[in-house]
Amino acid sequence: MSVARPQELACKQLVELLTDFLDGALDESTRTRVEQHLVWCPGCTEYLRQFRATIGVTRKLAEEDLPERVKENLLDAFRHWRHGS
Amino acid sequence: MPSATGDTGAEQPMRAWKFLDPGRIAPFGGHVWSAPSTSGPGAWVEPAGGVFACRLEDLPWWIRPELWEVELAGPVRMLPTQVAAARGRLLRRVLAWDEAVLRAYGMACAERARDRAVHAFLREDRQGEGDALRRTRSMLELYRTAQGMATDARTPSSNAVGYFAACALRAAQGEGAAAALHAADAVSVATGDPDAFARERQWQAAWIAGRCALSAEPVAVV
Repeated sequence: MSVARPQELACKQLVELLTDFLDGALDESTRTRVEQHLVWCPGCTEYLRQFRATIGVTRKLAEEDLPERVKENLLDAFRHWRHGS
Repeated sequence: MPSATGDTGAEQPMRAWKFLDPGRIAPFGGHVWSAPSTSGPGAWVEPAGGVFACRLEDLPWWIRPELWEVELAGPVRMLPTQVAAARGRLLRRVLAWDEAVLRAYGMACAERARDRAVHAFLREDRQGEGDALRRTRSMLELYRTAQGMATDARTPSSNAVGYFAACALRAAQGEGAAAALHAADAVSVATGDPDAFARERQWQAAWIAGRCALSAEPVAVV
């Protein structure tokens, strides 16, 4: 079977799809395009590795592990982010 | 012969090929496949999302460091660039596929693309550029030469040299999967032939099959 060139995923598009990719929430066709991009793109492969490592590390964190100042900074950042400022 | 895509309805086991990361690790799922032993195949793997493997023509899409022959079971679906099944197990590692062969694969794809580029330039009466590409003796030299031409986008072959440059660079770096993809893109753009991409991918699959002595078609296990 010969296959025409599938529509190329740009690295920026892949980054936007990564959370859904890791959650298993992509449809089969989109997931295949993500995986095919990862086969040849070392930059996105490294990004995925870092993303997974970050998830692995943060999963081990409990709220009490955060210093009070860091917690306040994070909450402040989220408050401003939610207000769009 | 199963249809190119869709459910074959086949419940009988089928042989195919599977690329894995070092240590028999699934590149995307992350699980470790059980190794075959002298007493028989590895244990069945049955991930929730199914098992994906390659027909010969699919190989260029899924290049990784390890290549294995696998047995698939359960209903098998033929997808455009892979085969999906409910479960699979490793039968044997294709030892002929190693880092050196991966590097040689990238170089072969780049050299073939270079030859196509030379012909494309000659067709456009651009002897000087064709000769400059033909004279290159290494991937890095090809990369530098093509990169130097990439700013002049007068014709299809000029448009393709950016891909040739990327192809040569990735071949020089031993990145066979990327070199092969860029090579197919380069030939497609240089020739302006909509079927050229698929033809290059077929040639690349045949290169892997020939170098690794893989059988022509995945066959049902008797």
